[in-house]
Amino acid sequence: MIRIEQLAKSFVAPRRWIGRAAAPVPAVRDVRLEAVDGRITGLLGPNGAGKTTTLRMLAGLIRPDAGRLEVDGIDVAARPREALARMGVLSDARGLYPRLTARENIVYYSALQGMAREEAQARAEALAQMLDCTALLDRRTEGFSQGERMKVALARALVHDPANIVLDEPTNGLDVLATRALRETLQWLASPAGGSKCIVFSTHIMQEVERLCDSVVVVSHGRTVAQGTVPQLRASAGARDFEEAFVRLAYADETGAAA
Amino acid sequence: MKGWPAWTVFVKEWVDALRDRRTLAVVLLSSVLMGPLVLIALSGLVASFESRAERREVVLDGIEHAPTLVNYLQRQGFAVKPAPEGFEQKLRRSELGDPVLVVPKDFESALRRAEVPVLVLVSDSANKRSEAGSGRLQRLVAGFNRERSTLALALRGVSGEVLEPVRLGEKDLANPQTRGTQITGMLPFFVLMAVLYGALNAALDTTAGERERGSLEPLLMNPASPLSLVLGKWAAVSAVALLIAVLSCFSFIPAQWLLRSDTLAALFQFGWREALWFVAIIAPFAAALSALLMAVAIRCRSVKEAQASSAVLILAVSLLPLVGLLNPGGEERWHLWVPALAQNTLMTRVLKGEALGLEPVAITLAVCAVLALLGVGFVARVLRRAAVR
Repeated sequence: MIRIEQLAKSFVAPRRWIGRAAAPVPAVRDVRLEAVDGRITGLLGPNGAGKTTTLRMLAGLIRPDAGRLEVDGIDVAARPREALARMGVLSDARGLYPRLTARENIVYYSALQGMAREEAQARAEALAQMLDCTALLDRRTEGFSQGERMKVALARALVHDPANIVLDEPTNGLDVLATRALRETLQWLASPAGGSKCIVFSTHIMQEVERLCDSVVVVSHGRTVAQGTVPQLRASAGARDFEEAFVRLAYADETGAAA
Repeated sequence: MKGWPAWTVFVKEWVDALRDRRTLAVVLLSSVLMGPLVLIALSGLVASFESRAERREVVLDGIEHAPTLVNYLQRQGFAVKPAPEGFEQKLRRSELGDPVLVVPKDFESALRRAEVPVLVLVSDSANKRSEAGSGRLQRLVAGFNRERSTLALALRGVSGEVLEPVRLGEKDLANPQTRGTQITGMLPFFVLMAVLYGALNAALDTTAGERERGSLEPLLMNPASPLSLVLGKWAAVSAVALLIAVLSCFSFIPAQWLLRSDTLAALFQFGWREALWFVAIIAPFAAALSALLMAVAIRCRSVKEAQASSAVLILAVSLLPLVGLLNPGGEERWHLWVPALAQNTLMTRVLKGEALGLEPVAITLAVCAVLALLGVGFVARVLRRAAVR
């Protein structure tokens, strides 16, 4: 269960030697989100809407200016490490160590999560089976394809079997088959058989959201502008097509001004 | 928190660094092998000087014009050889290793009439081997002059001491080990370079490299504390630097067996004891330097940027030991407070066979500890502020 309330963050431009400091750039003004267990929640928004910044704050990498982030009732700002232990985060930076094998990459993270060695090895095997990449395990990650990298990075993020899974644009750079495989994996993880995980994932691709998400949060210019299931959003925007609904919701100001 | 995250990070970074075979090979070639190779090359040079000095040969152009001089030289135990054809060209091209003394045609008659004939000493100051021999030739000619004048004065009933009212005696205080340091003085420099280049790659790879690969952000999303991450990384970088330093120190021991000059081999006293002392002196420095390099690199977005930023540090570590070599005043107290220079000073003491003393060791340890603390603290602070801008 992940809850985000009235989140705000603006970035201060680095100070220059001469002249006045530039005005702070607001990245997130008022983002609200509630993601429950056993469901996939999509964070949908155009480029620059503040999705990545929101998820970075959720992972405790940036301190928010205002608002509250909660993971299973734990305040991220107050107890970041406990919150992180209950979250698996696949951020948009998903670099692997090229000189280590896929297995070593995964086991390193499980050790950092405080898992015992045998447990970590077993978990790496199980994750590889789930993500269908057992053959990759003992190869060095140097020269892996985008899809292979993503699988290893996802396995690394899920190594401690977290109850909450946060993914930042996970389908970036993946081909059709890899995207489909990821979709199936996420659906399974949200199902009771997969552990009824709470999954939040950000994207700017309509089709992903339509196919996968149980509920959608639309973010634009750093604000949550709509929240609900796909049919609900279509109905509230008065559009039959989801893409049309998204454009009306996300770009309400601009399209309104133009009309 | 179960387990020790710092230990986990250490093991991973150590394995990672040792798998970077190409970089390690370059470091081993450039820093570890370089010292012994230069030493062996130098010993070859010294050996050639020595053999020239021992050969007791003098090259004269126009032997037939100067029987008196040849007689003197032979009495001094020198073999006199005629100069080869076109000796000036040969000297210039370094084909001839001995300077040539040119005797004018009327040397003997001019000498008899006390007309002061001129002998010309032909050498090439760019030709180091001939330079070494010309000092000896000058002394021989001076000796010949002294003998001639003493004889001339004696014939007139004057004591030879008129010509030499003062005599100069020589007393060399250097013991064999201190004399050896003239040549072995560069050893500490090579060891310092080995530590520097051993630490450099690992330090940049674990900081700026993580950021460049995009693996820093996921790493920070683990529940391990930033401080434990930094401690693990720092320990691994220091260990790699120390490994290279140990290899470098111990590579001088087998290098001695290959020394071609007997004098140099006798002067060069570098055994297991000295090597262990070297390692003990260099270990705290390796730790401090690793922390500093990491602190410089942690804010850089790529390894390339980090290399540019660390250039100042690299230059400082390379140049500071030279202060010890160039300073004519010898060792001064403040040298011990400057890292790199202090290690150079202490290692030189080991080579000279002097005692290190408790205070200098304490000073260098304290300086290294403070630097390491500052470096590690800074890196941890940057990571705690989470590094995403």
